[in-house]
Amino acid sequence: MEPILKTENLWKVYRQGKVDVPALRGVSMEVMPGEFVSIMGPSGCGKSTMLHVIGGLAQATRGRVFLDGNDLTTMSDSERTLLRRHKVGFVFQKFNLLPTLDAYHNITLAQHIHGNGFDPHRFEVVAQLLGLTGRLKHKPSELSGGEQQRVALARAIVGEPKIVLADEPTGNLDTKSSEAVLNLLRSLNKDLGQTIVMITHNPEAAEYGNRVLHMRDGEVVDGESIH
Amino acid sequence: MIRHMIVQNVLHRPLRTLITVVAVAVEVTLVIIVVGLTSGLLLESAKRTEGVGADIMVQPPSASVFIAFSGAPMPIAIGDKLAHLDFVQAVAPVLTTFNTVNGLDLIFGIDPETFDSVTGGFVMHAGHELREPNDILIDDIYARAKKVQVGQTLHIVGHDFNVVGIVEHGKGARLFVLMPTLQDMMGAHDKASVFFVKNDRSEHTPAVTEEIRDLLPHYEIRPLKDFISQMTSSNLPGLGAFINVMIGIAVAIGFLVIFLSMYTTVIERTREIGVLKSLGASKAYIVQIILSETALLCLGGAVLGIALSYAMRSIFIKLFPALSILITPRWILWAALIALVGGMFGAAYPAWIASRKDPVEALAYE
Repeated sequence: MEPILKTENLWKVYRQGKVDVPALRGVSMEVMPGEFVSIMGPSGCGKSTMLHVIGGLAQATRGRVFLDGNDLTTMSDSERTLLRRHKVGFVFQKFNLLPTLDAYHNITLAQHIHGNGFDPHRFEVVAQLLGLTGRLKHKPSELSGGEQQRVALARAIVGEPKIVLADEPTGNLDTKSSEAVLNLLRSLNKDLGQTIVMITHNPEAAEYGNRVLHMRDGEVVDGESIH
Repeated sequence: MIRHMIVQNVLHRPLRTLITVVAVAVEVTLVIIVVGLTSGLLLESAKRTEGVGADIMVQPPSASVFIAFSGAPMPIAIGDKLAHLDFVQAVAPVLTTFNTVNGLDLIFGIDPETFDSVTGGFVMHAGHELREPNDILIDDIYARAKKVQVGQTLHIVGHDFNVVGIVEHGKGARLFVLMPTLQDMMGAHDKASVFFVKNDRSEHTPAVTEEIRDLLPHYEIRPLKDFISQMTSSNLPGLGAFINVMIGIAVAIGFLVIFLSMYTTVIERTREIGVLKSLGASKAYIVQIILSETALLCLGGAVLGIALSYAMRSIFIKLFPALSILITPRWILWAALIALVGGMFGAAYPAWIASRKDPVEALAYE
């Protein structure tokens, strides 16, 4: 089986003034379809940069990133936009819901951008799976943190992406809400076979995945299988 | 979906939306009222000239279509020559000047007998016709606007006149005095500014026009049948430029307000733009959102501006009955279009900035 995500000697270097600051230093890794991979590491180790590069939000400085067979490093900005639209779902630490839209429209916005129009069946399945049916008319300011993150999760998966990239999805949540969100991620992975890459600095959260990669100073230092 | 998002965005910041809409409305109102005022005055002036009832107007060489600007360079004896031409029924010499006290009013110095023979005579609302050198007739609009009644004294062009009658409007000017009096005041003895010629039948107008052209080569001979169509801003020196400048100022106001409003919006929504980009929204999609939002604001501003224009016209006409403001569907559409295009230009740069935002930086924006 081909990996859904593969990086080869991936480098990302930021220019700060006259100094080059490498955020990723030759990362090579693979994620197979249906895997739930947690990436752990201390602040500043390059986890978020890694997520931005593999999700096509940022361009790599050197190396290769293959997502569902597409080499992101050779793609233009608009090609990467298209790829994100159809193959990637993002979940962020700060939820990043549009404050002017209610939960329903935050979710359907993704379908609208996806371009295939509103799919009521898929919407219904996702809303029920994430327990949002009674909260759809509420704006983000009227939802709890856990509810907001569930809406963000619904938005990420409603377009049936090949991979969900979650950046510290429980970083702004209390323990109970964190557990609920992590359980949802796990059930998405187990029940629907959704491939997930989650960044976290919380070892307990990382254990919800079936594999954990450890990063330090822009490199993957080791990996372990959990299940 | 996008429509819902745009409406929600507009409603999210009600004060900013209100200020932007009001600014666009001011732009639209300015255009409609400035054009309406100039067009209204021109049309009203043209109708008054047509209302004289003459078939042909004779003016000195190179005279303006606006008879008030003609001065008094023609010998009054020309009138006798004109009266002897074939098919000519009557000729009325008129001396014109402006009264600039409390407004700008055209004064006709007339010979009542010849003027009546061309115009068919005044319709009197009150008082009687001109008899004494210091008599003055005013029309009903002037009387209403200036609250003047028969028996009052009017100090006009350095001269005291007795208001002896109020006449129906539409006979060329709002104020009428005896021609010899005005000639004395202007030092223009035996001179006239314009001759109004009445033919025995209107079909003879082309023939009479040719006769007069032969008699008075180089003079301005204007058949009055199409007079209204000649009364355009381009025929009044500087008026077209004035209108263009006012429209330019209005567009600048709209452009700057929309630019600032949308630029602030884009800065404020930086993170949201990052979210849209993470969802796979293209640059065109983001530009579409910004421009659609601008179009909605401009549309709201245009509707409010049109309503304001009608309200202002009502107020102006109530306060200044002599004013004429012509609001036409054509200029309503133009004003709305000018606001929309100006707004789009104003939003173009913020939209371009938004579409080019780096998604990672945008998502990190606090």
